[in-house]
Amino acid sequence: MNEQLQQFLSGRIWLREHTPFPREVIDAHIDSGHIHLKPGITTSTEPNLFWQSKKNVCNRCHNTNQSYFHSFNCARCNQICTYCRHCIRMGRVSSCSELLLWDKQHARGANAHVFAWNGKLTPLQQKASEELLSSVERNESHLIHAVCGAGKTELLFPAIFASLQAGKRVCVAAPRTDVILELFPRFQKVFPNTTIHALYGGAPDQHGFAELVLATTHQLYRFERAFDVVFVDEADAFPYYADETLQQAVTKAANPDAAIHYVTATPTKSLKTTNQSVLTRRYHGHNLPVPRFDSLWGYTRKLKKGKIPPKLEAWINKKVEMKTPFLIFLPTIEMLENFPSDLPRVHAEHPYRKELVMQLREKKIPGLLTTTILERGITIENVHVAVVGAEQPIFTSSALIQISGRVGRSVQYPEGDIVFFHHGISREMDKAQDAIEGWNRA
Amino acid sequence: MKCLICGAPYKSPPTWSKLFLYELDSSTCIRCFGKFEKSQSVIDFADFRGTPFDGAVDSVFSLYSYNEAMKEYLHQYKFLQDVALATVFAGKLQQAFQSKEGIVVPIPMHPDKLVLRTFAQVDELLNAAQTSYQHVLSKITTEAQGKKTKKERLKTTNLFEEIQTIQPTNYILFDDIYTTGATIHHAAKILKDAGAKRVEAITLIKG
Repeated sequence: MNEQLQQFLSGRIWLREHTPFPREVIDAHIDSGHIHLKPGITTSTEPNLFWQSKKNVCNRCHNTNQSYFHSFNCARCNQICTYCRHCIRMGRVSSCSELLLWDKQHARGANAHVFAWNGKLTPLQQKASEELLSSVERNESHLIHAVCGAGKTELLFPAIFASLQAGKRVCVAAPRTDVILELFPRFQKVFPNTTIHALYGGAPDQHGFAELVLATTHQLYRFERAFDVVFVDEADAFPYYADETLQQAVTKAANPDAAIHYVTATPTKSLKTTNQSVLTRRYHGHNLPVPRFDSLWGYTRKLKKGKIPPKLEAWINKKVEMKTPFLIFLPTIEMLENFPSDLPRVHAEHPYRKELVMQLREKKIPGLLTTTILERGITIENVHVAVVGAEQPIFTSSALIQISGRVGRSVQYPEGDIVFFHHGISREMDKAQDAIEGWNRA
Repeated sequence: MKCLICGAPYKSPPTWSKLFLYELDSSTCIRCFGKFEKSQSVIDFADFRGTPFDGAVDSVFSLYSYNEAMKEYLHQYKFLQDVALATVFAGKLQQAFQSKEGIVVPIPMHPDKLVLRTFAQVDELLNAAQTSYQHVLSKITTEAQGKKTKKERLKTTNLFEEIQTIQPTNYILFDDIYTTGATIHHAAKILKDAGAKRVEAITLIKG
């Protein structure tokens, strides 16, 4: 048995043509029963009332939405071949491609784990952290419901260390690449002797067997029955809550008897856990800034005509004068691209997103226009925030709570202006405001 | 419908030409399609003057220029093998071929390469555009043109050979991208030498 192959494939479901091992090595392990082969797509015909309908399932991402499947004349298998467009960015999975699964004893880590963290938890964090730890020890699922800026990552550390010590394989998953990139160096410092892999789209190759995996939820499509403990951070972030296959991916990547723990600021009803802890205070103890509502009637028409509505213009000018960095959230990419101003702007497809956020932090630019892409995960000292068109459906209460959570995160500037410019107040805006006021009262 | 490129739902507006002229429906939203730039550059054959390829091609028409959006598109279509994307330019390609007369000849792939890629990207573009074509040529080398310099590309001995008799009529070569023009000239020369009257070329992209 090839040990490197075992380490690589343990817990993974991997496209054969993407495996970094020679063909003969893989063939030998298939013959000896170490590797199990699965077809890329399973197609079944279901008899309907009047006709027969074909149903495809992608065996990697478990997508069953038929509109994501496309069939064509394949020159490799000389048949009509179907492939999954849903997970195509990870390499195409089609009817004639083979997925490899490790079918024997999984690899194990041989590291003696060290816990090198001497930070202090606030009493509230401490309590939540202990509750989580005892849930992890009893293998019961746990929900940490914490406001933005409560210091959620730190309170995971003791539970993760305990799991690693017990010889378990641990996964920390988050929907967004930016979060994984931020977590990776912190975890490397806290667990210096542990093999940690950070997996996200475009990540470099990492070798050996990782006892701790930090991954975007998308990357979990490539795992099956791999982890004994899973923590899902930012479980309320797009696209996780909106994409059912991502939620399935988390369950699929975990062992059937593994507990899955969630960390979120705005839990949805679908998150069901045995235990939960609530953190309503920021780590610095100050109140959360409460969003105020301000009307901006007919802003779409004004912006289309190439004019900034006077109230918004006054807000921007004031922030520029006071030299306070600011973010303006806009509902659509079109509105962002056509906004009549020379302020820099970022959206999901923008190549210099990280650089522009850095420039805002260093006060090289006065402010930034953005879509909901910057709604979470970023910390800019003393930032003030305006949401334009807060009544639009893209701004759900959880998005608005996250956006408000950008303000007042540092101890030096625990307050700041957060304003929802609207063309009529929506229920979601009210819900967000109520939730924030509720936490401040608690 | 969902946009094939960004996945966002969109409605394609009904038009008279779709109803009466059977114009093909687009498979992307207006925002994604708007990112492709129409090619403005005029292609001349100055580089080929004095070479054996002089006069092999009578005209070349490219629809789009090679920009960031096109690079992304080609990556997903050819490298990630997303065959469904062949339909993105179906309508525009169909129009381009309707305005010309002659036998359409796609630039062929080497059979080994075809098995690796699982589909012939040039043929699939034509299939999507509902344009009929003939395989008149076959590729005999497996070297990729993209890795060679212009001089090397021209020096290369025959890239193709004919597999059918060529008639004394008009031919329209079709390829996905026109970079230095070596591929198109190699193919055109074989057709001209075998008796083709006129050889034109259409490419999706001017690189």
